[in-house]
Amino acid sequence: MPGHRTKGFCASAAALALCAMLAGCGGSGESVGGGKVVLRYTWWGNPDRAERTEQAVALFEKQHPNIQVQTSFSAYEAYKQKLATQAAGGDAPDVMQLDYRQIDQYASGGVLLDLARQKAVLRTGEIDPGLLSTGRLDDTQYAIPQGRGTETVAYDVKAWKASGVPLPGRSWTWSAWADAMRALAKKTGKPGATDPGQSEDCFEVWLRGQGKSLYTEDGGLGFTADDLTRWWTFTDELRRAGVVSPAEQTTQLDGSVENTPLGRGEATADANWDAPASGFLALIPSGVALAPMPSGEDGTPGQYFKPSMFLGVGANTGHPKEAAQLVDFLINDQQAAKILGATRGIPVNESVREAIEPQLKDFDRTIADYQALLEGSLKDPPQAPPSGDNALQATFQRDYDQVSYERMSPREAAENYVTEAKAELRS
Amino acid sequence: MTITTTPVVRKPVAWGRIALHVGSLTALLVMLYPLAWLLATSLKPADEVIASFDLLPSHLEWSNYSTALDGVNDVSIWRLLSNSLLIAGGAVLGNVISCSLAAYAFARLRFRFRGPLFAFMIATIMLPHHAVLIPQYIIFNQLGLVNTYWPLILPKFLATEAFFVFLIVQFMRGLPRELEEAARIDGCGPFRSFFKVVLPLTRPALITTAIFTFIWTWNDFFTQLIYLFDPDKFTLTLALRSFVDASSTSAFGPMFAMSVIALLPIVLFFLAFQRLLVEGMASSGLKG
Amino acid sequence: MTTTDIPAPAARKPGTSTAPKRRPKRESQGPAWVFLSPWVLGAIVLTLLPMAVSLYLSFTDYDLFNPPRWVGLRNYVQMFTEDPRYWRSVLTTLTYVVIAVPLQLALALVVALALKSMKRGKGFYRSAFYAPSLLGASMSIALVWRAVFNDGGTVDNLLGTGGWVNKPGWALLAVALLTVWQFGAPMVIFLAGLQQIPGELYEAAAVDGAGKLRQFLSVTVPMLSPVLFFNLVLQTIQAFQVFTPAFALSAGKGGPADSTLVYTLYLYDRGFVASHMGYASAMAWVLLLVIGGVTAVLFRTSRSWVFYASEGER
Repeated sequence: MPGHRTKGFCASAAALALCAMLAGCGGSGESVGGGKVVLRYTWWGNPDRAERTEQAVALFEKQHPNIQVQTSFSAYEAYKQKLATQAAGGDAPDVMQLDYRQIDQYASGGVLLDLARQKAVLRTGEIDPGLLSTGRLDDTQYAIPQGRGTETVAYDVKAWKASGVPLPGRSWTWSAWADAMRALAKKTGKPGATDPGQSEDCFEVWLRGQGKSLYTEDGGLGFTADDLTRWWTFTDELRRAGVVSPAEQTTQLDGSVENTPLGRGEATADANWDAPASGFLALIPSGVALAPMPSGEDGTPGQYFKPSMFLGVGANTGHPKEAAQLVDFLINDQQAAKILGATRGIPVNESVREAIEPQLKDFDRTIADYQALLEGSLKDPPQAPPSGDNALQATFQRDYDQVSYERMSPREAAENYVTEAKAELRS
Repeated sequence: MTITTTPVVRKPVAWGRIALHVGSLTALLVMLYPLAWLLATSLKPADEVIASFDLLPSHLEWSNYSTALDGVNDVSIWRLLSNSLLIAGGAVLGNVISCSLAAYAFARLRFRFRGPLFAFMIATIMLPHHAVLIPQYIIFNQLGLVNTYWPLILPKFLATEAFFVFLIVQFMRGLPRELEEAARIDGCGPFRSFFKVVLPLTRPALITTAIFTFIWTWNDFFTQLIYLFDPDKFTLTLALRSFVDASSTSAFGPMFAMSVIALLPIVLFFLAFQRLLVEGMASSGLKG
Repeated sequence: MTTTDIPAPAARKPGTSTAPKRRPKRESQGPAWVFLSPWVLGAIVLTLLPMAVSLYLSFTDYDLFNPPRWVGLRNYVQMFTEDPRYWRSVLTTLTYVVIAVPLQLALALVVALALKSMKRGKGFYRSAFYAPSLLGASMSIALVWRAVFNDGGTVDNLLGTGGWVNKPGWALLAVALLTVWQFGAPMVIFLAGLQQIPGELYEAAAVDGAGKLRQFLSVTVPMLSPVLFFNLVLQTIQAFQVFTPAFALSAGKGGPADSTLVYTLYLYDRGFVASHMGYASAMAWVLLLVIGGVTAVLFRTSRSWVFYASEGER
């Protein structure tokens, strides 16, 4: 059968070609650098952030001809998984973007370098000390915040105005917020906002408004089952009255603004972080405005400026100095800041912030104005949450699902959560 | 009278066939509805992608496609496409070669510990891959192969996908043994009877292996995510996910457009190979 | 049966390879190991080694970052006695297996048989029925599925049942239907199996005066049984490990109210979200044992209904 022989030959030729190609590609990994120092830098984000970051990195390479930076990015959820696998495999990148919730885990796991040792090239003088300390653990600076964000009540301006309910002012309490939502629900015939009961972030704002916190200084639980029961009873009553979104809608939240009730046109407001809230604009072209988060009944603010993204350097890096130079460039360089804009939140470096604020456009402008409104009135951010928080954030939603689907009372669910949280934080 | 009897005999047959087609088409309509939705969504404007439950867009948003065709960042769509093709093609080659070799040994040859080894092979399908992800990553990292295509292709050349070994084993066991007995009498050793007798007859299983490997490798987001670092090495499957990032603004429209674009190569691959599936035993010229 | 007169070779059941050698000496083991060599290499380096590591990790407390700490059986004890969510995930997975496997196999078999009996348009139908399986459980198809099965979506409009993906009692069904909808893989395998049946068996049966039904029962069913068995075993194994559709439809959370938190999704949650990789490894090994048990039972029963032409015996 000559036909078979030909095919067999083709197959082996193809295999050879493939091997050659793979070898070629494999070679272009670490080794190509021509005597240059090669740094790997990863972050999460969307293609827009990627484009701006690439431009900034190109500028860095121009300023440091001896350094070549390999960049890589993925979307947030995928990024977390990828970075964890790399770190567990002893292959963490030289410079990595980290979330608030990752700091404790990565620092205590020995993945991150002590940045104080690179003080010579990495300046932190222009960063607000309160924000800077969020990247510190046991008095070691493991990560530097890049930008800051804060929570907000984003709302559909047109729909809110049309309802005749007075627009939110410069501050409001949780009960004023609830009254406004009730009025909105009554006028518009649909829920006023997303049910905040599922959100650990909203609960934290509520808790801080009462002078408490999610976690204690030493990483224990900062609240009791009674506190959580009161929070969930509050939201449960609003949900039952149709004032906030029903369980069937709330359960579909996946982190994207598109899947929030506000994004779907099924509510008038949504509590969210200020940076992603810009996504609402594409969904509600008639206009989105930002109001502050509700405060405690005595006016104590619960929200805070949260470091939106950190930069850390891998403990295993062969080039700690160069890595620190890249971090310094991304955080402190004026030209880099002009390229990056507010793509990672409003910059934390104060002189950089002042320099770029006038050139911010569109929703970046809205966010900057919103943050300026809050400037000076907020309390210091808490230290980075303990590593168990990664699991607890999901548990919080799960337990509240049991409340919103009316399978458990707020008290039962709260006690469940506190039991699980204590076990999680102990381990 | 004799003339009329012929149509009477023919009619019931025709009705049966029509019923078959009507039934199949109805089933298809239901089956393909979500696909129509996918296509329609790829042309929806941003505020309708998620929020609207209408099949048809209010107007056609072609910019979703132009955004997707721009590729991601500096990496062009052609680069992404050729990376995907290279990985999927390599995987197909690897699986077809290595799995058929191993399958022949399990199905036809005698060796020590065949039973336990076969059981072990089946058992390797049973452990969820999340549990071995990190050890595997460490191995490839030690070998210096992370951020190359090797971790995506090399395992296929080593028959690690027991699914396909088992599939081909089942087909080989279905072949009458006297075909090889005859070949043996003609002086064929195990190698020649494998290539000349068994392999041609197992063609449907090999084509099946090729089709599944191509599609599954193409869609395997997870492995590509873990092992590829350089955006230049990214695939279409990786790129389309990067349009949706919950921490910043997402672009669901272009993501759908890119899903449709990424679908085209596998549709073509399937259409090309499914034809070969039909021939099988009937055309192999070795009817026994 | 025409095939029963094939001279039966030595019994080829696994485990009997050490039986007295009835074969002539010339059949050495050498060639077998040559054919097996890629598999052996892969099995040792890429399969056995990682499996051994995960087995070890299942007896440790391992958070991915710090070195694993030996804790003996604690993970297993905790799983069985202290974790109600674990047992709920077991129940959810069993429910899923019972719904998805029979539905998918039945659909795949019926369509494959229908396609085989078609004279015209075979290629078209085969491609069209396979089309959904080209997608996998990608993010875009998950969004489509969520739209179709949501409040006010197509299913709600047609059946008036309300949405499925957002109701704890229905969400798992929506997940299972996503799997069933993608029945292309078992269908193609059935078709390949049907193609392999020699046409003269049907001719011989027709000569013997067997009708269509008789031909189906005495030719198609036994000749297809190895492939049917393959599909049954593999679909069962895959159903126990279902991950992607549940992950995609619930945005990784297993909601609403844990109703789609299947075993592997919970394992992923423990291992990669909560960083309890030791616990996740223990879960993986329990799953392996359970699936192994079920598969062993299937293999045992297969002796009574799976027919291999190469063995010429039932």
